[in-house]
Amino acid sequence: MSLLDHSIIVVTGKGGVGKTTVCAVLGLIATRQGKRAIITETSGARVLPGIFGVKSQGYQPVELSPGLDTLSITPLEAIEDYVVQQIKVRKLYELVFRNRVMAPFVDGVPGLHDAVQLGKVWDCAVQARDWQGHPRWDLVIVDAPATGHGLTMLQAPRSMMDLTRAGPLYKGNAKVESVLSDPVQTRLIIVCLPEEMPVAETIELSQRLGPRRRQLSLCVLNEMHPAPSVPPQDWTIARDALTGSSSPALDEAVGLVDTWQDRMQAQDRARKRLAAELKLTITDLPFLFRRRLTPADLARLADTLTPVLTAV
Amino acid sequence: MTTPHMSRTRVAICCGSGGVGKTTISAALALKWALAGQRVAVLTIDPARRLADSLSIGQIGNTAVRVPIEQLSPQTTGHLDAMMLDAKATFDDLVRRFATSDSAASRILANRYYQFASTRLGGSHEYMAMERLYDLWHNGDYDVVVLDTPPTRNALDFLRAPDRMASLMDEGVLRWLVMPASRSGWRALELGSEVLSRVLKKVMGRGTVSEIAEFFEIFRDLWDGFHARSVEVRSLLRDPMTTFLLVSSPAPAARADALYFLDQLAQKQLPFGGFVVNRTLTPPLPRLDPAVLPAKGPLPPERWDQVLDTIRQARTLRQRLAKAHAEAIAQLRKAGPQQAPCWLVPEQAHDLHDLGGLATITQSLPSLPDIHGQT
Repeated sequence: MSLLDHSIIVVTGKGGVGKTTVCAVLGLIATRQGKRAIITETSGARVLPGIFGVKSQGYQPVELSPGLDTLSITPLEAIEDYVVQQIKVRKLYELVFRNRVMAPFVDGVPGLHDAVQLGKVWDCAVQARDWQGHPRWDLVIVDAPATGHGLTMLQAPRSMMDLTRAGPLYKGNAKVESVLSDPVQTRLIIVCLPEEMPVAETIELSQRLGPRRRQLSLCVLNEMHPAPSVPPQDWTIARDALTGSSSPALDEAVGLVDTWQDRMQAQDRARKRLAAELKLTITDLPFLFRRRLTPADLARLADTLTPVLTAV
Repeated sequence: MTTPHMSRTRVAICCGSGGVGKTTISAALALKWALAGQRVAVLTIDPARRLADSLSIGQIGNTAVRVPIEQLSPQTTGHLDAMMLDAKATFDDLVRRFATSDSAASRILANRYYQFASTRLGGSHEYMAMERLYDLWHNGDYDVVVLDTPPTRNALDFLRAPDRMASLMDEGVLRWLVMPASRSGWRALELGSEVLSRVLKKVMGRGTVSEIAEFFEIFRDLWDGFHARSVEVRSLLRDPMTTFLLVSSPAPAARADALYFLDQLAQKQLPFGGFVVNRTLTPPLPRLDPAVLPAKGPLPPERWDQVLDTIRQARTLRQRLAKAHAEAIAQLRKAGPQQAPCWLVPEQAHDLHDLGGLATITQSLPSLPDIHGQT
C-alpha cells in the first residue's frame, strides 16, 4: 500500500522548509498513479498556480496539470461556504454576515478560522462529487501552516467541539475530527531542513502531536546537497597541501570545500538525529540550486520520492 | 476618554514569515543597540530554548531576564532584557487590571469561553503580543523595545488584532447579544432580532450562542478598559517612534510572503524602516587562476583530480546560489518603496551558539539612528 492511498495527507514543518514543494511533488506522484488529487493551500499565498503557469482562482479549484488541482482556502470564504450550507439561503448569509456589525463578530470567534479551513478539506475529501456523482478527488494534500500554527489548526475541530458541546457546530466539527484523527484516512508528513533549528522544531512537533503521533508517516529532509566527489579523508590530505598558497582565490575555494564538507556532516547528523528521535522513515530530497522550481524540477523530485511512498 | 500617552520609548517591530531567522535578528538588533549604550528590551514569542542559549541566559519567561552583555563590553552603559510572551498570563493580567472588582475578575477567569479564547484557540497570541508591547512602551523603562512577531504567514494577524478587538467593542453586536432589548441596536443591523438570533442559532447552536452571550455579559465590565487600550495600541503602531523592519531570506519561499507583508504595511499606513535580508551568500572571487591549482599533489593522480574537481564544483555551486540570492534581493528591493534601506546579513559558517556568536552579525545590522533618524 502506498502512502498516497489514504484520503488526506497533511504536510507541515517549520516555515521556509519547502512544504509547498513537497505537496506539489506528492500531487504529481498521485496523478502518475492515476489518482485525482487536490492540493489545498491554507496560507493565502497561492504559490502553486504560479509554478505551473496557471491563473489562480482562489477558493475555486484550478487545474495545475492533468488530474492535479489546487485551491486556496481562505477563512472568510470557508465561513461563508459553511454558513450557507447550514442555512441554505445565500441571500440571508449576505444580509446577516456581510453586515458591518456582524462581520467583526464572526471574525472574532477564536479558532473558527482554523476549524472552517479544515471543514473545507473534509468537504473536498468526503463530500465533493464530479459530474458523474463519483468522488471528485481520491486524495487531498493539505499544505498546512508552519509548525506551531499547524498544530493549533489540527486541534481546532476538537477545540470547537469542546467549546460548543452540542449543536450544529459541534456536529460539523465532530465529522471533520473523525476523519482527520483516523490513521486509515489521514496521514501526516513533516518536512525538515538539515539544520539545527528545523531539526529541533521537528522533534518538538512530533512530541506535541499526542495521539496524532501514530498518523505521522514520513519525514522529508529537504534541500540536501550532493556529496562532493572527493572523500573526506582525501580532502584532509589535500587541504594541508593547498593551504598557505599565495592565491586568495584558492584560499577561498578551499574554504568553500570546507563548508561543503561541514554541510555533509550536518546533513548526516540531522538524518541520524531525526531517525533516532522520530523512529520513522526519513527520506532525502535533493537541493536543485535554483531560485524557482519549474514543473520539470518537480517531476525530477517526484522520481526520487516515488519509491519511498510505497515503502512506508 | 483617555488622552494620548506620550512615551519616549522607541519601538522596532521585526516582521516576516517563519524560518527566516526573525528571532535571531531581533535578538542581534537588541544586542547591538544595548552595546551602543541604550536600555533595550527584546520581546520574543519563540519558545525555542536556543534563543536563551544564544543570549547566554538560562531561560526566558514572561518577566524580564537581564542578558549579561558586560561579557562582551565591560564598560557598556546600556543593558538588555529579554522576555518571552506568555499569552495566557498577559491576558489574565489584563482582566485583573480592567475588572471593576476582584469577584468580577475571578468570574471571567473561571469562564469556560474565556479559557478557550485565552489559551487553546488561535488569535489571542497576536493580540497579547501587542498588549505586552504596549505595556513596555507605556512604562518607559526602556529606550528601545524590539518585538519579534509571531511566525504567522497568515495575514499579519497581529496587526489586525487591536483593530479586531476595538471593532468588536465598538460596533456593539455583542452588546445586543447581551441586551437584545435595545431597539435602536437592532435598527443598525437593518434586520429583525428574531431573524438574526434564528440564523445564529441555526449556525452555531442554541447552547453556544447563549454561552458566548454569557461570556460577554460578564466581560462587559471590562469593555471600557479594553476599548481604550485597543485604541491606544493602534496609535502606538502608527507612532513616529515606531518602525517596522521586514526580515526576509533570499530563499524563494520567503519572497511571496515578504511582498505580502509590504503590501499590508502600506495599506495600513504603518512606518516601514527597511529590509533585513538574512543568510545571504556572496559570489566567490572572480577568477581562480589554473596556475595556482597544482596539477599534482600528495594523492594518486585520479584521486587528486577528484580534489581539483571538487574545488571547481564548489565554486560553481556557490556561484549559482549567490546569483539566485542576488536576484531575489533585487526583486525584493524593487517591490519596496524607492530607496528603502536594505541590510544584508551574510550566512554564518556555524550556528550562533552564544552572545559572542550573536555579536558577529551585529555589524551587518542598522544602528538606531539608521532606522529612527537622529532623534
